[in-house]
Amino acid sequence: MSDAFVEETADEIIAGAMIRVENLNKHVETVQGRLDILLSIQLAIQYGETVAIVGASGSGKSTLLSLMAGLDLPSEGSVALAGITITDLDEDGRANVRSRYVGFVFQSFQLLPALTAHENVMLPLELAAVRQPRKAAQRLLERVGLGARLTHYPNQLSGGEQQRVALARAFVTTPKILFADEPTGNLDSVTGSQIIELLFELNHEHQTTLVLVTHDEALASRCGRRIRLEAGCIVDASSTRT
Amino acid sequence: MKIISLALRLLMRDWRSGELSILALALLIAVASTATISLFGDRLHRTMTLQAAEFLAGDLVVTSHSVLPETWVKKADQLGLRHARTAGFGGVIFNRDEMLLAGIKAVSSGYPLRGYLKTTTTDETEEVKTNDIPERDTVWVDKRLLSSLDLSVGDEIEVGEKWFRITRVLTFEPDRKGNFYSLSPRVMLNDMDLAATGMIQPGSHVHYYFLFAGNELALARFKKWLKPQLNPSQRIMDVHEDRPELGTALSRAERYLGLTSIIVIVIAGVAIAMATRRYSERHYDMTAMLRCLGAGQTDILWLYCLQLAMVGLCASLVGCLIGWFAQEGLIHLLEDLLPHRLARPGWGAVWLSLSTGLVTLIGFALPPVLRQKQVSPLRVLRRDLKPLPPSSWLVYGLAFSVITAMLWRYTNDVELMGYIIGGGLTAMVLLYVLTLQLLKQSRRLLPVLSLSWRFGLQNLSRQSKSSTAQILAFGITMTAMIVIILVRGDLIETWQAQLPERAPNHFALNIFQDEWQAFAKQLQNEQLKASAFYPIVRGRLVAVNGADVHTVVKEDSQGGRAISRDLSLTFAETVPVENKIVQGHWWQDQKPGQVSVEATLAKSLHIALGDRLTFSVGSQRFDAAVVSIRSVRWDTMNPNFYMIFSAGTLDGYARTYLTSFYLPADDKSALKRLLKTFPHVTILEVELILNQFRTILRQVTLAVEFVLVFALAAGLTVLFAAVYTSIDERIYEAVMLRTFGASRKLLRSSQLIEYMTLGLLAGVLAAVAAEMITWTLYRQLFDLSYRFNGWIWLMTPLAGMVIIGLSGFWSTRHVVNKSPMTVLREL
Repeated sequence: MSDAFVEETADEIIAGAMIRVENLNKHVETVQGRLDILLSIQLAIQYGETVAIVGASGSGKSTLLSLMAGLDLPSEGSVALAGITITDLDEDGRANVRSRYVGFVFQSFQLLPALTAHENVMLPLELAAVRQPRKAAQRLLERVGLGARLTHYPNQLSGGEQQRVALARAFVTTPKILFADEPTGNLDSVTGSQIIELLFELNHEHQTTLVLVTHDEALASRCGRRIRLEAGCIVDASSTRT
Repeated sequence: MKIISLALRLLMRDWRSGELSILALALLIAVASTATISLFGDRLHRTMTLQAAEFLAGDLVVTSHSVLPETWVKKADQLGLRHARTAGFGGVIFNRDEMLLAGIKAVSSGYPLRGYLKTTTTDETEEVKTNDIPERDTVWVDKRLLSSLDLSVGDEIEVGEKWFRITRVLTFEPDRKGNFYSLSPRVMLNDMDLAATGMIQPGSHVHYYFLFAGNELALARFKKWLKPQLNPSQRIMDVHEDRPELGTALSRAERYLGLTSIIVIVIAGVAIAMATRRYSERHYDMTAMLRCLGAGQTDILWLYCLQLAMVGLCASLVGCLIGWFAQEGLIHLLEDLLPHRLARPGWGAVWLSLSTGLVTLIGFALPPVLRQKQVSPLRVLRRDLKPLPPSSWLVYGLAFSVITAMLWRYTNDVELMGYIIGGGLTAMVLLYVLTLQLLKQSRRLLPVLSLSWRFGLQNLSRQSKSSTAQILAFGITMTAMIVIILVRGDLIETWQAQLPERAPNHFALNIFQDEWQAFAKQLQNEQLKASAFYPIVRGRLVAVNGADVHTVVKEDSQGGRAISRDLSLTFAETVPVENKIVQGHWWQDQKPGQVSVEATLAKSLHIALGDRLTFSVGSQRFDAAVVSIRSVRWDTMNPNFYMIFSAGTLDGYARTYLTSFYLPADDKSALKRLLKTFPHVTILEVELILNQFRTILRQVTLAVEFVLVFALAAGLTVLFAAVYTSIDERIYEAVMLRTFGASRKLLRSSQLIEYMTLGLLAGVLAAVAAEMITWTLYRQLFDLSYRFNGWIWLMTPLAGMVIIGLSGFWSTRHVVNKSPMTVLREL
């Protein structure tokens, strides 16, 4: 698939659903038999929308997120990001889509321990072959308040600082979609609130479509829409704001 | 008890999940290869020693000019040793008017204790092997004696005062000494007839050889008991001293096998260290959880040490079993090439392998496991909290101690160990610093490189310390592999050069001065290629700088033996082949009165350059000044000389000539024609000795070849395993890159670049280290001449790139084919 094709397709549907999930099923085979994780998920998320996926542990939230982001493949059904059906693509094709449209924030930060804060943020830019990645990465680190910690390695940073680096890394490519998996799950409430503030600020600045998985009702309530999962099914997809 | 059952349960769980497979595999390789090499080497060594003992006709031989004290025989009986004796002396044999000086040898029943005799009844019938000796009143004689005295089998001859009937023709004696100048036709008789010949009188010049054979332990005890009781005229002979050409080959083979064992252990040790590190790091979370649940540091330590011990014991036992079957299988495969009578595998070798496994495990695996003790319970909250690394002293100290202990076991030589360890450590430190700098400097290149090169190289340079450690580990393994390839090649080449295909198999002695040219011409006519003709003057060294030689040297030393008999003195214009001047210089002019002395004799007699040596030839004396000291290769079949004089020094003394030539086995008629034309010349056939020697060398070569293949296979497996143990971090990084959208091509090419660079650097490092180590080994251990090996510098980095590059590429292949979530879950 050519890059031009991806670009054109994305432009065509930019006004429509940014993420479209159709009849998505995920199950795994265990010794006890088949275990259903997600069942017949139908979902459309519009450009610029902020969506929280909530639900109890084991309800399938993180699995849904990883399928929507193309990190994993469904058993059945399809996922389209920016009009591109990523479930039809091979891993390379999905990687290409991710590098162009997607940013990530993980609960456990997932910074590369061997890289400095600056290098971690530069990484997605380098992969997208952006020129002058150094400056852009530095600008964003300064934006998240870590301008003085550029050369620090992840193990020299606190949890909150690491998540700031992760946010900078997520936004540095100005992604169209940001997937966040329990972004405050590993942080205390004060630091968590600060990170959330920063996340929404950056999201607003970059006009990103945000999909986040959380247990935190307060965080979920800041999103435009809340999707509740129970035993792998969507039970509620109400708007939180009118 | 609770800890043991918990350790067992955890072990079973890890085993099922495959966590232990690399560690167990590395251990298994170490033990299985050590066991195979030890068992096979031990069996071959014992078989070869047995064969070599056949050259002496016994395992241990004492030479003496007098009869052995009865207490010695009793002691031998007490230790369960078999014994026999031979007595050799010169005597004249008459047949009607003909007479001949013969070498008479009386042998007791049981002779030969090792090997066999070969005899025929007539020339035409086939020779038979036998362990019998002549019956009483009969003798077995050489063909030469029959033709010289015009006798045949069934005739009678008079030896001293007794008549004997010739019953067989003697064609082979295992212990016929290679003193080419005094070989006379043999007459062998029964020891019980010796007294009746009346030839042994007080003062007679008789050489007694007392032969002993039995198990190694009893022999060692006997030798220890015997040594202090020997008088100056008595000497213990063994294969290393009295067959230097074989002894050297055997010592080298033994050392090679020993060296290979150490190398396999080092290779496996590196893999064990890497595997345990991975195993340990993957258990930090569990340890943190156990600590949270109340386990103390000591409990944790016990838990892991117990698991390690269990793995070690199981892998060592299975490894020994595999080693046992592997060597049996190998011996079965090589059945046709090996001697029929092979020594049984020794339990000692099994114990050695078993203990090697456990010791190697402790030396290389303990430090990473000890880190578990440091794991903080806080890790359950902060996963990035890693325990403090173990002290470098502990890590390197333990591995160092294990290698030192192994080296000591195989070399028993402090100086040599010093060379190897000192050299190895210096090389490693230098190379570590060099590699570290190289990696750091390579960061400067990054901005101008393409993305895949940048990712590949920056993975190495960003973690320069751990990359350097890995490069060193791969480098050590590759160094070890090159060293054994190099040493093997040069050993075999040296052995083959020692005995080329058409090596002289006949020596012609006692060629008179006025007929040597005619002799040379006849050889030429018969199309037989002869070596040089060496003039021989028999004479003794009597004084050094005017002082009687007997005052400067002990009787039972090499020098002592050399001055108590006639030496073969020769002269030459140029340095003979395989002789090397170690001090002084070869004569520039051909002035008479100069001598070149063989190095070990010079040392034993305290002879230095410029000394004046006095020789006696018959009743005359002459002096010569020492102008050079030569080292001589005694392990060849060529004639060698202690004393070589400048031309003119030996003029005026009666001389004979000596030469050697190759005669094909099926062309004995040429020999008959030679003997007919030159009846005085003694022709000595050394074909049988040569063949026996060749057989042993072939077996030694075979052992060396096999051991090499095994060690290389172990090395390659371990290299691969080592790559595999270091991939977790790389996979994680690759998955993260994948998550951010890196393409398959980018990932694959950067992984390939990373691993190939790793292999390239390890290869360069291995080439440097291998050159340094072989240089030391050749000079200090194998006594081989070192030469620069250009191909190593090309092939090793290339091989490193290919092997490590492909192993790494293969190990990480699934990262790009699977979805990131699947791979992350597997880590």
